[in-house]
This record gives sequence, structure tokens and C-alpha cells, in this order.
Amino acid sequence: MSAIDERRSQFKKYKEDVKDRGKPFYPYAMFHDTVMSLVVVGVIVGLASVWFYTSGENPDTCGGKDSCLLGPRYSEPADPGTTNFVPRPDWYFYFLFYLLRIFKWPDSVILGTVGIPTILLIIAFALPFLDIRSERRLSRRPVAVVAAILVVISMGELTYKGAVAKEALASEVVAAVPQWAQREGFANDPKAVAGANVFAEGGCTSCHTYLGTGGGNLGAPDLSAEGSKGKGVQGLESYVADPSKFGNTVMPKFGAFASIPAKDAQGKDLGISQLRVLAIFLDASKGPK
Amino acid sequence: MAVSARTRKSARLQRLEAAINYPIDWLEERSGLVGGLRYFLFRKVPGDSNWFHTLGSATLTAFLVQATTGVILAMYYKPEPKTAYASIQHITNDVTLGWLVRGMHKWGASVFIILLFFHMARVFLFGAYKYPRELNWIVGVLLLVMGMAEGFTGYLLPWDQTSYWATVVGINLNGTVPFLGPYIAQFLRGGAEIGPDTLARFYSIHMLLIPGAIFALIGLHLYLVVRLGVSSPPWSKEAAGADWVEEQVTTNGRSGLTQPAARSSWRRNGGDAE
Repeated sequence: MSAIDERRSQFKKYKEDVKDRGKPFYPYAMFHDTVMSLVVVGVIVGLASVWFYTSGENPDTCGGKDSCLLGPRYSEPADPGTTNFVPRPDWYFYFLFYLLRIFKWPDSVILGTVGIPTILLIIAFALPFLDIRSERRLSRRPVAVVAAILVVISMGELTYKGAVAKEALASEVVAAVPQWAQREGFANDPKAVAGANVFAEGGCTSCHTYLGTGGGNLGAPDLSAEGSKGKGVQGLESYVADPSKFGNTVMPKFGAFASIPAKDAQGKDLGISQLRVLAIFLDASKGPK
Repeated sequence: MAVSARTRKSARLQRLEAAINYPIDWLEERSGLVGGLRYFLFRKVPGDSNWFHTLGSATLTAFLVQATTGVILAMYYKPEPKTAYASIQHITNDVTLGWLVRGMHKWGASVFIILLFFHMARVFLFGAYKYPRELNWIVGVLLLVMGMAEGFTGYLLPWDQTSYWATVVGINLNGTVPFLGPYIAQFLRGGAEIGPDTLARFYSIHMLLIPGAIFALIGLHLYLVVRLGVSSPPWSKEAAGADWVEEQVTTNGRSGLTQPAARSSWRRNGGDAE
């Protein structure tokens, strides 16, 4: 008997077995389904109630507590002008989010954004055609069991790491600026120092790293030695203003910085924009001495 | 006296029965829906189906919660950058039970995704995607993709910092797809920048396009479940259609109730008599 005939006769036997000694869907299976559905609705109502009663009416507040059990009701209203914000997806995208810490722009980031998700999806769709044996007992499907365990562990690990990923707080980053100036040797250039402050306060370290500080999210590269790549102040300025012009479609545009005047540590106007000092800072970053 | 009273009552009962049956028969004659429902409810499922088999209907329940709360939210939500955030605040803090509806929608999304994965894991471990149920597995994976897309498009709607910046980056990541990337990103944004068009677009995709597709795919999914039946647990000693059942019986030399013939006649006469 060929494989397909065997499977057909097996399914015929299934139909006969169900007919002979199965139980009617109503009321037996339906009873279980109803109980389970009530549990699901109960859990959803429970989560909604806990979320609401442990959060506050104002954005990002938790009714007097430090952190909400299930998150705030909403954060501040969307503001395209601010950048000091860590882009964070909903939890079921954390595994993709964290995958992008492993791959770096520009060489391999596409593996994290497109490559691995596409491969996973193709495997998921093709599964019934990759595993064509009719065997269903787990003890006789070692490959399937090992694959399932590996998938659960790796997805769980990436989701967990995405959830606990440390974010660079602007206050901590700003405190590191004098040390950056020292180690990179631009302490005597007030424009570069002002640019370092814009870099620290502007939220660049949400994704980028600089001398060990920062998030390293979304494949963003380390910028400690960005100035040694020969892009020049002008080049860096236009890159940051609109990275998509240079083929970088991941990084948001920061052209808004061009209209904000830069100030030095004493609050004196430097006469140039924040975008310009940012570019001067990046150009002065030739790597730690 | 007593006899005639009983006859009168039974005549009245008959009239009542006829009155109840009339619309049902009317509907059945013209649509066949009553027979369809009867078939759906009284079809046989394997005798060893258990709590694991409730994950699919639990996922469906979570989806129906999303659909219901979503319709209510749509009555109050205003998909404009200037008004979206305020309308979310209004729903959460002012509208009667608005917090419950929004909270159920927000958390129902997570429950829906978790149940999708649990249901998928159950089908995988039971080997229930194998012949002849391959197509239903594919429909299920499509439903998972649709569910994730719902999560992505719904995340933007509160129009707060969290949702805005996650979506900026999310769209940019879509932009890294070779060749098509820039077009996908352009389509999602509805222009060069995220703005009013993006919000309206995400809202339309989130509440019309994908839910429509999900409803259609669930219909197909359920049709295939009813047509093909559900798999017995692979460890079951009385799994329907499994060749290992006889094997076990003969090799273990068991007798009595575990023997298929004996068991089936017992079942027919006792437990599950219709």
C-alpha cells in the first residue's frame, strides 16, 4: 500500500471510530468549551480591572505608587518633536525587538528584521509538508519534540530579555558626558561638549551605544568612533537630519534639531543649531584614547 | 373527566408545538440552517477529547471579546491626531464602564495572542496538522499572522508616546525588506511622515480590513474542523483511527473493556446513548 493510501485508510478508520464510539459535541465537548470560555472572559475582565485600579488618571502615573502593576493607562501624548523616548513594542513583539540587539546596522540588521522572521514563517506554513509521516505519538517524534523545545526556549529567552532590557536613563547618560569628553579628548571644544549633551538628553542612547552607555536596540551601531569614518561634520549633519536619504530606513529623522539653538554648559548661546553641535560631537568622536 | 382533560391538554400542547415549530420549519425549508446547526451540535467527536481541545474555542472567545469591545470603542474613539489621545482619556476616565471596555480590549489582545500560541502548540504536539488537516494548519498560521498584524496596527491608536515611537520604528523596520521595503513603509505611513493619514489608515486596517479577514478565516477554519473532525490525544489508549490501539491490545494481551469491539458496544448501550 502506498503512503497516501495508507493515510486515507487510516482517516477512514478515524471516521468510523468516531462514529462508533465518539460522543456528541453537545453537551459533552460544549460543556468544556463553555467553562473554558467563561474562564477566558473572567481573566480578561480581571486583567482590565487590576490594570485600571493600579494606574492613575495622569499619563505615566500609578495612583501614588512607583510603578504600575500592569502599566499606566497611557503615556504622554504623541510628540514627534521629542526624541527622548525608548521605542518599545507590545510584549509579543519583544522577541523580534531583542533579535535586533544581536544584529547590527548595516551589515546584518536585515537578518533580524526580515531574514529570521521570514524563515520562521515559511517553516510554520510548510510544517505539514515537511513532516509527512502519519505518526502522532510524541515518543516516536523525537525531531518534532526537540524542535518544539528549542523554539519555546529561544522565543521565551528573547521575550524575557526584551522585557528586562535595560534602558539608558537620560539623567545617567548626561552624568557620563564629562567622562566621554575626557576619554575621547574633546573636553576643550565647547561645541563638541554641547553636542554630547544633546546626544545624551535627546535620547540617542535609547538605541545607540557610546563608550559602553546606551541601549544597543534595533541594530543601532556604537558611535564611540563615528568621527573616524571620514563623513565630516557636514555629512554627519545631513545623515542625522534624514537617514533615509543614505539608505538607512530604520533610524528616524532628527531634522527637528536643526531649528533648536544650541547652548553651552553655562547657558550661553553658541549661535548654531543643536543638529550642528551634534554633528561636531560625532565628528570629534575618534574613539577612546 | 380526567381522560378528556388530558386529551384537551394534549390537543392544546399539539397546537403550541405546531406554533413553535412553524417558524423553525419555515426557516429550515428555505435555508437548511436548522439542519446545519443540528449537525454541528450533535456531530460526534472522539470520546477521548479533553480540556486541551478547548483552546481553539477559547481563542475564538477572546476574538469575540475583541470584536465586541472594539465596536463599542469605535463609538467613542476619534481617529485624528488632534483628538485621538483626548478621546482615549475620555473613554478611560469619563465614559461609564469605558475603562472596562478599553481595558478588556487592551488585555484581551494579549490573551488572544497567548491562546493562539497555546492552541498552536496543542495542535503541534498532538500531530493534528497531519493528513488530512494540512490546510487547516495553514489557515491557522494565517490567523496568527493576522492577529499579530492587529496588535501592530492597534498599538498606534492611543496616539501616546509609547505607541507613536514604537510605530515609527516598526514602520522603519518594515522598510528594510529588500526591494519592496520602501513601498511597504510608504503604504503604511500613507505619505513620507507619520501623521493624520497614518492614523486613519491604521484605524481602517485595524477595525475593517483585518477583522474581516479574520472572520472569514475563522469561518473556513471551523468548517474544516467540523468536516475533518478533531484528533484524539496521541497518548490515548482509545484514540480514534489510530493503528496503535489494536497493537497495544494484542501485544499486552488485554481483554474486556479495553478491546475495541467490547468497548464500543458498551459505549453504545451505556454512557453515550443518544
